[in-house]
Amino acid sequence: MSNLLIIAIILGLGVAGFVLGRQRALVSAGGDKRNLHSLPIYYGANVALSAILPATGLLAIWLIVQPMAINSAVSDLISDDSISETGTRDLVMADVRRVAEGLDRAVQTGAMGADTSFALDAGTDDVRDTLASLGVALGSDVTPETLAAGQRYRELLGTGNLLKTLAVIATGLLGLCVTYLRTHKDFRARNTVENGVLLLLIGAASIAVLTTVGIVLSLVFNTIEFFRLYQASDFFFGTNWSPSFSGRGQTSELGILPLLWGTLYISFVALVVAVPLGLFAAIYLSEYASKGVRSVAKPLLELLAGIPTIVYGLFALLTVGPLLVEAFGDGGLFGVSWMAGGTAVMTAGLVMGIMLIPFVSSLSDDIINAVPQAMRDGSYGLGATKSETVRQVILPAALPGIVGAVLLAASRAIGETMIVVLGAGAAARLSLNPFDAMTTVTAKIVSQLTGDSDFASPEALVAFALGITLFVITLGLNVFALYIVRKYREQYD
Amino acid sequence: MEDMIQVDRAMSTQQGTKISAKGVQVYYGDNHAIKDVNVEIDDKTVTAFIGPSGCGKSTFLRCLNRMNDTIDVARVAGDILIDGEDIYDPKVDPVQLRAKVGMVFQKPNPFPKSIYDNVAYGPKIHGLARNKAELDAIVESSLRKAALWNEAKDRLDAPGTGLSGGQQQRLCIARAIATAPEVLLMDEPCSALDPIATAQVEELIDELRQSFSVVIVTHSMQQAARVSQKTAFFHLGNLVEYDDTDKIFTNPQDSRTESYISGRIG
Amino acid sequence: MTDAPAPSTPAVPPKGKSLLAQDDRTKRRNAAEKRFRAYGIAAISVGLLFLASLLWAIVQNGTPAFTQTFVNLEVALLEEKLDKNGNRDIDDIRKVSTFGYNPLINEALIVATADIETEVEDGDLKKILSASAAAIVRDFVIENPDRIGETVEFRLLTSSRVDGYLKGRVTREDLARDKNLDAAHLDLIDVMVAAGAVERVFNWDFILGADASESRPEQAGIGVSMLGSFFMMLVVLVLALPIGVAASIYLEEFAPQNKFTDLIEVNISNLAAVPSIVFGILGLAVFIQFAHLPQSAPLVGGLTLTLMTLPTIVISTRASLKAVPPSIRDAALGVGASKMQSVFHHVLPLAMPGILTGTIIGLAQALGETAPLLLIGMVGYIASNYPDGIASGFLDPNSAMPAQIYEWAKRADPAYYERAWGGIIVLLVFLLTMNIIAIILRRRFERRW
Repeated sequence: MSNLLIIAIILGLGVAGFVLGRQRALVSAGGDKRNLHSLPIYYGANVALSAILPATGLLAIWLIVQPMAINSAVSDLISDDSISETGTRDLVMADVRRVAEGLDRAVQTGAMGADTSFALDAGTDDVRDTLASLGVALGSDVTPETLAAGQRYRELLGTGNLLKTLAVIATGLLGLCVTYLRTHKDFRARNTVENGVLLLLIGAASIAVLTTVGIVLSLVFNTIEFFRLYQASDFFFGTNWSPSFSGRGQTSELGILPLLWGTLYISFVALVVAVPLGLFAAIYLSEYASKGVRSVAKPLLELLAGIPTIVYGLFALLTVGPLLVEAFGDGGLFGVSWMAGGTAVMTAGLVMGIMLIPFVSSLSDDIINAVPQAMRDGSYGLGATKSETVRQVILPAALPGIVGAVLLAASRAIGETMIVVLGAGAAARLSLNPFDAMTTVTAKIVSQLTGDSDFASPEALVAFALGITLFVITLGLNVFALYIVRKYREQYD
Repeated sequence: MEDMIQVDRAMSTQQGTKISAKGVQVYYGDNHAIKDVNVEIDDKTVTAFIGPSGCGKSTFLRCLNRMNDTIDVARVAGDILIDGEDIYDPKVDPVQLRAKVGMVFQKPNPFPKSIYDNVAYGPKIHGLARNKAELDAIVESSLRKAALWNEAKDRLDAPGTGLSGGQQQRLCIARAIATAPEVLLMDEPCSALDPIATAQVEELIDELRQSFSVVIVTHSMQQAARVSQKTAFFHLGNLVEYDDTDKIFTNPQDSRTESYISGRIG
Repeated sequence: MTDAPAPSTPAVPPKGKSLLAQDDRTKRRNAAEKRFRAYGIAAISVGLLFLASLLWAIVQNGTPAFTQTFVNLEVALLEEKLDKNGNRDIDDIRKVSTFGYNPLINEALIVATADIETEVEDGDLKKILSASAAAIVRDFVIENPDRIGETVEFRLLTSSRVDGYLKGRVTREDLARDKNLDAAHLDLIDVMVAAGAVERVFNWDFILGADASESRPEQAGIGVSMLGSFFMMLVVLVLALPIGVAASIYLEEFAPQNKFTDLIEVNISNLAAVPSIVFGILGLAVFIQFAHLPQSAPLVGGLTLTLMTLPTIVISTRASLKAVPPSIRDAALGVGASKMQSVFHHVLPLAMPGILTGTIIGLAQALGETAPLLLIGMVGYIASNYPDGIASGFLDPNSAMPAQIYEWAKRADPAYYERAWGGIIVLLVFLLTMNIIAIILRRRFERRW
């Protein structure tokens, strides 16, 4: 039975429970709802929730656990020999799953009877061709072992799905009956329902934690897998990045240093553009600008922050890059030939800087405004000019907050993807020339995970190691920056 | 007490007029905050502005060094002359004016810098010292005049925000003195202080009279009686009565003044 | 500063200096003040200049995508080529592939240009037409087999080069390096334009149509990926709004001060700053690697973007809940409502406009997000078919607007750049609309306590 149908049945149980529970409560109160402890809908909701919540919870757990259990049961059937032939256990298991799915589909579409599908013999029947005719492509011929594992997989899956359906619906019914029987006019239905709702709220709030856990787990497990195939020290200290796409990792050099260098270089250029512009804009807007100017200029600048990064990427690739080449390229405006192509550190950095201007300016604006007016009065009262007040009183007072803002901007720059994918180039190199094309951690995550490489090769898994590096760096910067900003805010609260 | 007032009166007649305001009007947007105020403030005298909350005494004080310029909606009309010069003349730079007319605020507002830098800030921006030795001397003499030197001399590099409330306010006074002003405006300088700190600051104000013309806005009639020689009573934006302090408190001419000092309005 | 020896006593500034004359120092200080002010103005002007040039680049490069050049061509649907048996058997007609139609179109072009003196050889004439021309004629014939033998007027797409030439994107110099078209073709086009046989019309196919293969930029449209984005946003809305509001209610109204609450708070503020690409990795690992959901499906994209948008929604929802004054809660509790009732009956409805505003802004952010979509396979895929129904809309491979723009930006043909810029205009129109709705909501229902 499909999961959607199961969910529909549970929801149906819930609706039925609502109606029944409400009725039972009213009957027990002799039809007068003033005799009830809680409003009638709470009795209905109580029965409905006890029918729905445990059952859906069970379903969710089942959906997570069942594939893992089946996988481990089936993968025991596969001998180490066949693994060494194909490469990794994951690849064999992928084939097993595909065979199983193909056969199931064959039964579903009626191309094969259920019995014949289980009676297939890898020696005599050409399973690969049979499945290919049904639109299931297999990478290699089906060995008897794979077929056996596939059949076992189907059996387990069938049993598991049947059990799941029964267990989930039984849980729903049980919940419905128990609470239905407990429904009585003196039953504290509202309190029970409210506790249930509170649990739901806590669950929703926990999703943030689950997301973080999910991020960390998916990064860590795949990274460990990667370091099994590739020396960790070579990854962290290697100065060469040249993944091979044909071989199985032997010829790839996957050193992160050139990527980190590109990332930091581009972020540096971006900050050099964004910090002075953003800071001066914030100072002008908060200290000098009249109300009218402020109400026009501030939203206009913040418009820059609302533009999707893909737009900036395209702007870098198609507008800024060619413009820079015209200026700094061969035969360009300045008569220098520093720049060979449109994609370069400068291109990406400049455009990223534009993107970060509103980020820096609105954060700095907040921070400058948090400096108490008394500071300004004190300074003006001594006969200081505005600029003297800003430079010698406000900025020193706001410095920690501004440092925090710059760190947050740096974290943004390091994690930015689309601008560097389109504007920075694809060549990993350690160069000082800002007009050279370089590449970044994020750009390489994209290029290693898109394309046809399977998830088992070091060339694909390296993306997770890059991801965890990126995650750790940005997380560190964020935590540190948020800490500084919070400390700063407390100072003036 | 009687003697002292006699002396004061003699002094105040000796000193010339420092500030003279004629027909001053202040508007905050549509609100007419100060209505046609005329007053003559003497040099080397402590002049107190008293009156109920919102009567405009602080607003008028802030006109005297053009601090109202920093508020967008405030508009000032009329003439305010210091030493015979109109401070609202377009040729006057408020920056120069404020060096001459210093100000101390209601809440102590030391900069988040060291004690030394707080005091040195004014002299630095106005270029009053030609070298470090001179600056040191200015800082020391200002702190001495503010009666803070003994407490602060060993911790000049400590942040000014680390001082106690009374010390902070004296630091702010030292900071104001350091630019060698001729007039010192004080906007309820003791309202955020405890009684002991208040007594210290009041004592200080009395000493400052030797060198400056001091104008103090205060909520407390006792304070006005203790520290000032002349008192101006403001009510609803009007200057109701302006005279020698003892006369205001003993024999007010206007019934509103009498009501205020006897506690019936305010 | 002077070199004079330092006097032992502090310098006393001259008393009684007139206020009416500015001394040199004040003049210098005021000049510094003016300079500082100018830096601020310069910074803002540079920022606004960047904004203007960005918008100019978008409008300048993108608007041509909204018009398209067509040739009106009378094609003789010759029976001997299309239906040799002459019995209008639809199966026989289907057997004629697009290659069989090419000669007809070529012939039609020869006829149409017969009066024009041109250096283009007859065999090369069809280069002015899109490769889709034969397919269009074939589709027409299959739908109307009875019109075989007649001469029918078709409106056929020109090739992207011709289109680009008429839009000013392709110049004669460019063509020197291009084997697809000669200058002679352009002369021919000039004459045809003058004769009214070639016209530029509004390009609905770009807004509503499907993506095309790499060699036919003139045919590509953003419509299918727009649907992909729509289904993704539906997933985000349905999941992120209730979960985000529930989480915010818990944190703002019920959460006790303890370690677990702190953990959630820290998590949310950090997740808001995690690079979006990391959410892509999460989506890839959890939804595709682990849960085996279909690749490139809007459902997976929606789930990934939900996780990314949640912190934004939680942060803005909490702000709106916080803005409801405690007196409202006290009033409800005072008449005997439970805490839960006071929140759901009073606080939440009052906070709703703020919550919706925050949600719309979160959705707008998700709509423009590209990086996570790259990792879950919503690129490299030609979104050429409309989904068959609701389920297939969620589960069948599709692209999304920003991913489609990225895809076009990567294709080598400059004609695709025009599509990419055009796609950006479409995307920005959506974002602008959402933001305007958010602003109106805020203006309309904003309440000051």
